[in-house]
Amino acid sequence: MKYYIKLSLILLVFCAVASGILAYVNSLTEPVIRDRKAKEEIATRSELIPEADFTEAKFADGSLYYIATSTATKDTLGYTFIAAQNGYSGKVQTMVGVDNNLQVIKIKVIDQSETPGLGANCTGDAFQAQFAGLGEADMLVDKDGGKIKSLSGATITTRTIANSIAAQIAALKSARGGR
Amino acid sequence: MNFIKELSKGIVKENPIFVIVLGLCPTLAVTTSVDNGLGMGLAATFVLICSNIIISLIKDITPVKIRIPIYIVVIAAFVSIVDMAMAAYVPGLHKALGLFIPLIVVNCIILGRAEAFASKNSMMDSLADGIGMGLGFTLSLVIIASIREILGNGTWLKIAVMPKTYEPMLVAILAPGAFITLGFLMALMNMMKEKK
Amino acid sequence: MKDKYIVSSAPHMHDKTTIPNVMWNVVIALSPALVFAVYYWGIRSLVLTLLGALTAVLTEALIQKLRKVPVSVADGSAFLTGMLLSYNINPGAPWWLPVMGSVFAIAVGKQVFGGLGNNPVNPALLGRAFLLASWPTLMTSGWLKPKTGNLSGLNDLDAIATNLQDLSPKAYALVTGATPLKVVQSLRDSSFVASVNANAGEGVDIANRIFTNITEMASLKNLFWGNIGGCIGEVSAFALLLGAAYLLYKNIIEWRIPLFYIGTVFVLTFLFGPLKGSGYSMMLPFFHIFSGGLMLGAFFMATDYTTTPLSKNGRIIFAIGCGVLTVVIRLVGGYPEGVSYSILFMNVMTPLIDRFTIPKAFGRIKK
Repeated sequence: MKYYIKLSLILLVFCAVASGILAYVNSLTEPVIRDRKAKEEIATRSELIPEADFTEAKFADGSLYYIATSTATKDTLGYTFIAAQNGYSGKVQTMVGVDNNLQVIKIKVIDQSETPGLGANCTGDAFQAQFAGLGEADMLVDKDGGKIKSLSGATITTRTIANSIAAQIAALKSARGGR
Repeated sequence: MNFIKELSKGIVKENPIFVIVLGLCPTLAVTTSVDNGLGMGLAATFVLICSNIIISLIKDITPVKIRIPIYIVVIAAFVSIVDMAMAAYVPGLHKALGLFIPLIVVNCIILGRAEAFASKNSMMDSLADGIGMGLGFTLSLVIIASIREILGNGTWLKIAVMPKTYEPMLVAILAPGAFITLGFLMALMNMMKEKK
Repeated sequence: MKDKYIVSSAPHMHDKTTIPNVMWNVVIALSPALVFAVYYWGIRSLVLTLLGALTAVLTEALIQKLRKVPVSVADGSAFLTGMLLSYNINPGAPWWLPVMGSVFAIAVGKQVFGGLGNNPVNPALLGRAFLLASWPTLMTSGWLKPKTGNLSGLNDLDAIATNLQDLSPKAYALVTGATPLKVVQSLRDSSFVASVNANAGEGVDIANRIFTNITEMASLKNLFWGNIGGCIGEVSAFALLLGAAYLLYKNIIEWRIPLFYIGTVFVLTFLFGPLKGSGYSMMLPFFHIFSGGLMLGAFFMATDYTTTPLSKNGRIIFAIGCGVLTVVIRLVGGYPEGVSYSILFMNVMTPLIDRFTIPKAFGRIKK
């Protein structure tokens, strides 16, 4: 019996030392990580709508979107939000910037796990650029008679992104009071 | 002399992937591109070297009955350190390797070397073993990843290496491509060994 | 000396069937389909098929040289594999597609396992799976229009199409640009139907009209003769049936696997195939057995000696399994066609089926 207590104590000591070291490393890195994440999000937002300040606002379902106001003139420039829907394999998350008329300014796919070589090409600049200037009604893939040229071999991914953006624009419309 | 011997054996003669066939899970999963393979290899090498050193140092105070849990604690601690350090200072790589970093904990190479080598040898030898095995692992990952990235994406380290008309062979960067590439490389290793 | 002295247990039976005999006869049986393909799409189909077959022969010879075993390409089995593989490629594909497929089929599908008789799955189908995973866009688009018809095989397409063009550009693109099974798959997809027309009711209506049209007698005739878009060897059900009859007559394939395979597909598509809200139709199962690669798969691929069960009961289980999987993939899966994957899957199950269908030894009493 005594032997087993001794074993447990040794293991406990090891765990305690390891935890101590980890806690120390965590205290060093955690602020850096948090800082970096926040900066990344801000950087993406300002990439979508440059020279603007962002204030948080909430959709009806409680998720966040941001109102962009011009740093210089304090006028409302537009909105940014994250559109997410399940694509071919897992969620595709797109950060979208729209102007006051709810036309897309720019989009950026921030997280996806689509097929490499096909759907994963949705992070390409040429693909994302074609969303600029489109409104809720234009979110149609070419195969469905719309203007968005779908990625070769990945209509599902393209359709997912278009649909998720359309849904979020509709949500934004109702959040603004139906305008 | 001994140091060099322990170091070099991991690269070809006892290559962890092609000869000992350990740690296949990360091998198959992260070798879709060379930079991923390199990152995973170096991260695992770092953990392997550290865990080998610590385990060889504590081998005299480690009771045999609970050695495995102790190894796991040591390895897990180092993995967490790598995970946090990467997230803080090289976030791009951290994002790409994401899920696989925690998996280093259960990477059989690390536990395998702890049990088979570090727990029985001196610190210097264990260090050499860790470096050698780590380099062997990294090298294998880079070889597999090079083949897969060139065939499946037409690039090497994100630089286009194939002619413009090349149609990427997608299967190479999908899961079956990993198995097929690994199989052929192992066959090649065996063929070379038989010739000797 | 060791090789000359073979010890094996009774019974010692011998008949005139030899490997070359079987293989070249299958090649003969496959040729009518090629004649039809050349008629509909021109000489390109012949060139691609020969490229695939010759590459397969070359690859096999090369690997056998490297392995230092006797070169046995004259037995025709590599030629047949290459030919079957090319039959799975669309006639508009680039020339290197059958070449790559054949190299993979022979090298990874066959020689790696030790050559003829040792491959766990059908090499030609493995080659096709490889091509589909590697170059999905080349394998599933760019269909050639047959000389005398249209891709979807819809009867009287022009009248329907002009009507559709105004109603729904999406449905128009579908009936003019997709193969029959793709059309049916899209019509079964509720999100597709919902987006066909702004008016949801109208969308369902359009889908039903296309569906009825594609399964009516005149459209089925196109399917039966092969007057549709598709892969080189699979389009003409008639030509394949002709070849199958020859093989059955020659006693090279047996009737169980094709019959149970096609029968299962027939019954299941009759029961589960109709669109939501529309009634049962005798035409639909005929559409399903004549479309896609079912005829090619059931007669020429699912009957491969090496990769199918040995016993009669085992073969029936195998065939029904193929049929169920094909229908599941076609009706609810992500691909329009499921013949190749279902046969590959059942190939892998073969050792298991064999184990559970060992015939009872004569005279033994069941315990």
